Amino acid sequence: MIRDDRAFAVMEYAGGAITAAATAAAIHAVIDPHWDMVLAMVVGTAIGAAIHILAAVALGPFVGMFPAMASGSLIGMYGGMLFAMRDSMQDASWFQSLGVAVVFGVCVVAVVQLYDRALRGTSIVEGGSAGRP
Amino acid sequence: MGPREPHVRLGDADERRYGPAKRQLFERIRGRCLMLAAGTGNDFRLFPAGLRIVALDVSRAMLERARPRAAAYAGGLALLQMDARRLAFRDACFDTIVSVCTFCSVPDPVLGLRELHRVLKPEGRLLVFEHVRSRLGPLAMMQDLLTPLSRRFGPDLNRDTLGNLSRAGFRVVREENVYLDIVKAAEAVRG
Repeated sequence: MIRDDRAFAVMEYAGGAITAAATAAAIHAVIDPHWDMVLAMVVGTAIGAAIHILAAVALGPFVGMFPAMASGSLIGMYGGMLFAMRDSMQDASWFQSLGVAVVFGVCVVAVVQLYDRALRGTSIVEGGSAGRP
Repeated sequence: MGPREPHVRLGDADERRYGPAKRQLFERIRGRCLMLAAGTGNDFRLFPAGLRIVALDVSRAMLERARPRAAAYAGGLALLQMDARRLAFRDACFDTIVSVCTFCSVPDPVLGLRELHRVLKPEGRLLVFEHVRSRLGPLAMMQDLLTPLSRRFGPDLNRDTLGNLSRAGFRVVREENVYLDIVKAAEAVRG
């Protein structure tokens, strides 16, 4: 039987990839190389923010609301900005757009999971030392 | 993460993630215990057996849903309808107070926490399991941006609940990050 924490980790990676791919797809459909880059980045951030909310609602019951929102917000907002910047500068294919997005989503989830491990544990114990369980 | 929690289904990810941390927090309950915002009584199964607990909720409908779970608890568990900001208890009458995801949605949380301060015995403990505003810039910004939306459905995402504990006269003696620095378990005493 797979332990819950491993199952959650796998689902978080899948969720990150899905969120990133959905964000990149929406941005690729809207933004093309004729766009002003700054305007594209603003629109990309807004699209990513909207998609991450939908993704968090959809994925929350399976990975937990805060894990879905934490990774999703970074992927949606910052990924959205980057994907839009790329699409305003370059005529990327759908394969390139979605492939890069999946890699980006997985990397963000990995960083969030590393951060979670680094932060997890007791940070204040009065009359004793702090430590991790 | 600990063993699987009983009575949870696929889709109960938050229960599965945080159940063990809540159970660990509840092991610190001593003496007469007050639980705020009992809700549907989902957390009753995580209490150690044999405690004397008074569980409150502001909603009668929630208390009705909690009744079967209260009856199933292996100890004394009384349900009362009450607002956390106006507790009908005398001063210093509880040894432990438990609050799970309550002060993200209580209007005027410091007022509510001051009321807890009043009913907690001087040597008593306040155990809180809450989500709070992250200290990590990008995550905190996300929480700030989403709070106007989340407030329409229930909780604020960006409350400084541990800071509010201090403002209400408590002193945090133990703080544990359960998920990033957003979901926290903490223990406080009267300052």
